[in-house]
Amino acid sequence: MSMPLDDDQIEIIQEFATESRDMIEQLEPAIIELGQNSDPETLNAIFRLFHSMKGSAGFLEFDHMTRVAHAAENLLDLIRNGEIELVPNHVTLLCAACDFAKEALDIVESDYNDDTMVAPADEISEQLHQAIELAKGGDKPQAEDIEESVPAEQPAAPTEQPAAEGDFPQMEITDEMRLSFVQEGNELLQNTEHGLLTWGENPEDTDSIGDIFRNIHSFKGNCGFFGFSQIEKLSHQMENILDRVKSGSKLAIDNPADQLLAALDVLQKAVNNISDGKDDSIENLEHHLNALQTLTAPLLGDFLVEEGVQEEAIFHAVETQKKPVGEILVQQGTASTEQVTTALKKQQDKIKKTKAEIKPVARTKTPAKRQDIRVELGKLDSLINLIGELVIAENMLIHNPDLKGLELENFNKAGQHMSKLVRELQEMAMTIRMIPVSGLFRRMIRLVHDISVKAGKKVELELIGEETEMDKTVIETITDPLVHLLRNSLDHGLEPPDERLAAGKGEKGTVKLSARHEEGEVWVTIEDDGRGLNKEKILEKAISNGLIEGDGSDMTDKQINNLIFAPGFSTAAAITDISGRGVGMDVVKKNLEKIKGKIDVFSTPGQGSKIILRIPLTLAIIDGMIVRVGTSSCIVPTLSMLEAFRPVMDQITITPDGDELAQVRENFLPIIRLHDILGKNPDSHDLSDGILIVLESQETRFCLFIDEILGQQQTVIKGLSDFIGNVPGVSGCTILGDGDVCLILDVGTLVDSAESKKNKYENTQEVI
Amino acid sequence: MAEETTTTHFDAEDTQKDKYLTFHLAGEDYGIEIQYVIEIIGIQNITDVPDMPTFIRGVINLRGKVIPIMDVRARFGIEARDYDDRTCIIVVNINSTEVGLVVDEVSEVADIPESNVEPAPRTHKNSEESYIQGMGKINTDVKILLDVHKLLFSGEMQDLVKNLEEQ
Repeated sequence: MSMPLDDDQIEIIQEFATESRDMIEQLEPAIIELGQNSDPETLNAIFRLFHSMKGSAGFLEFDHMTRVAHAAENLLDLIRNGEIELVPNHVTLLCAACDFAKEALDIVESDYNDDTMVAPADEISEQLHQAIELAKGGDKPQAEDIEESVPAEQPAAPTEQPAAEGDFPQMEITDEMRLSFVQEGNELLQNTEHGLLTWGENPEDTDSIGDIFRNIHSFKGNCGFFGFSQIEKLSHQMENILDRVKSGSKLAIDNPADQLLAALDVLQKAVNNISDGKDDSIENLEHHLNALQTLTAPLLGDFLVEEGVQEEAIFHAVETQKKPVGEILVQQGTASTEQVTTALKKQQDKIKKTKAEIKPVARTKTPAKRQDIRVELGKLDSLINLIGELVIAENMLIHNPDLKGLELENFNKAGQHMSKLVRELQEMAMTIRMIPVSGLFRRMIRLVHDISVKAGKKVELELIGEETEMDKTVIETITDPLVHLLRNSLDHGLEPPDERLAAGKGEKGTVKLSARHEEGEVWVTIEDDGRGLNKEKILEKAISNGLIEGDGSDMTDKQINNLIFAPGFSTAAAITDISGRGVGMDVVKKNLEKIKGKIDVFSTPGQGSKIILRIPLTLAIIDGMIVRVGTSSCIVPTLSMLEAFRPVMDQITITPDGDELAQVRENFLPIIRLHDILGKNPDSHDLSDGILIVLESQETRFCLFIDEILGQQQTVIKGLSDFIGNVPGVSGCTILGDGDVCLILDVGTLVDSAESKKNKYENTQEVI
Repeated sequence: MAEETTTTHFDAEDTQKDKYLTFHLAGEDYGIEIQYVIEIIGIQNITDVPDMPTFIRGVINLRGKVIPIMDVRARFGIEARDYDDRTCIIVVNINSTEVGLVVDEVSEVADIPESNVEPAPRTHKNSEESYIQGMGKINTDVKILLDVHKLLFSGEMQDLVKNLEEQ
């Protein structure tokens, strides 16, 4: 409907959308936290979010977004200035504003305008205004406030919030002005930095000090003009010090260039913030000011006066200060040696102390530009594939059969070097796609907050292992399942507070969300301490729905628990607006299947339930042991291997059922023959000719019978083709150095696979 | 991305229309539409995968991609024969699923216009029939034209997929 946009504009809009979305994601948990403690830093961060969103949206002419952001900003500003009290309703409203912004961003991304968002924008900004009005109380009816909420033409008038004026300049600074300030500021700061560095190396060079001083001075002036009071203060302090240096005064340490550089970095950071559309606030401003303040201390003269030396004499001494001050004074007889020694000692102490205080100001280099770029995922994928091929090509080259038997010293050297580089490259490539799950987990804070309010339950969400890294696509795929599972835990699992108290539990329920590496997979666990799954109810429902035949008495707990993943299955007595339609668990299962993940459900009635999502690391490298049976080899994840030994017949017991057990110290472990699973002929069927490896998966242990262990290797997991689907007992495959495909065994399902094989075998025997 | 593939697909269809890759299998000539064929490679070391139907021989590594291999002889229930240096793997791609087909010998790319293709015979019901798309005539020779989609996905493969879903 509007003018066709050119590519540049579209790109700007997309960038805006992505950035805003990132910010919202980061800040949503912070908003929730606001409800608990209104720490000014969080408040400022949220304020900045809405402020910069308003700025960018205004620039791109997304009026409705601007309006909402402005209203939210107003509310936050009032809270920040302590004019109104934060009430839970405000948190809800701000969340709603975030939701609105997300929705609007979706629309903006597809349509490049937000015209369709009129109604929700009206609603939310109206609500925000009402909240402001309400909080301000009836005594100050400010009808014009509402008028002012249409910010397009009318920027927030300074008269509206007189209290805010000092800290937060209300003068409307156009984007152009801002830009030129940033450009000029960057230039000035760069000059200063350059000057400081040369001065640091060459302290006698008074010219450079003059330069530095001039640069900082004009920077300070600019800041003052734009009303960036915080940067102004800091730059003013720097100017003071430089002034002192210029006039030849002694500083606490000989050369304060490092400290000045550190302060300069802070300034640079603030300028970057401004260029990103944020305000000029500096973290720990006081700290930085103090750090600089300490530089201006101490003068020997001051101490000498303390020691009772006449000031005049000191001045005189300073005049003739070619020799150390103390020495001159002693010569002139105005001060005793004793006095000078004490003073010198004091000076030394003070300097030492100051140095100790100052040292920790490690210089954190703040780059003037962002250090990351956004890359299309497809490009990354092909890069990673190419690197995978490179690894194989390298192997084929170095182990080329044509080279056999040749003495090639230099070639081998070059080959080794290349191998090393290729390995490094491969490891790098693997980490590129991995992102920590913290983003995903932190999003859940909001969800839990919302649901607990709706369902009237008290919940504490514990996040564990946020730093665990997973493939980006995998994280996207498990987002929905996690939402459904958490909803379930909160809505069905956790009891209302009174019921919990009656059951002797704390009023507050706990939901643990954790991620960790286990058996070459990532396990995402959702654990609650609620009432647990009700087996009778599940069975009853399953029978009435016709999901199972018979009365289910022959089913194991595991099978019963798994019934909850059947489509349309729900034991909830009533459908609430949170859950109960029976769709969720089905979604969980479908999505997990997509990434070849598995779900395990554990539940103890009355004590809670635990759901583990076992997700394969599609691109991960695992440590594997290559084992051989007959002509074929497989890889066993080293993580699940406990030990390996060559059995003697005394260790083996055969039960009347024909099951073989191996005695490993005091335990009897079932033996699974790998050749049965693979359908291969081993070197020998005799257990004492081969090797048993003890494997562990979720507390069950068993022995795997193989012919031989060939070696250990880091392997890149690849999925078997979709055409084949999931193979029981196999989690994927990898490509070995010689280019052959090698299967990776799935320790978790090996037992099941062996059992089903045995059953099949027995059945066919019966038929015969 | 998706659009791109379809456009190239249409372009390709014009030049690839009526062209079939023909191959030998147990004394008969077969043909499959060339548009599905990615490449032809010699027989390679195949890694077994447990619990597969007999005609799925296993997987191979094709330049870093893991591709399942189907033995067409076994698929048709024809007696197995040792692989030799004429044995080929035809790599086909349907809906971005890549599968390798083991055949006795690849012959040529033949042009069989639509007018020369007879519908599949419906006389008797054997297992082979369902994979046949038509009978192509080149002069006096007859090529059995296979429906690649059915070859890959019908019958036991369907069961396999279904079984997996049930699990």
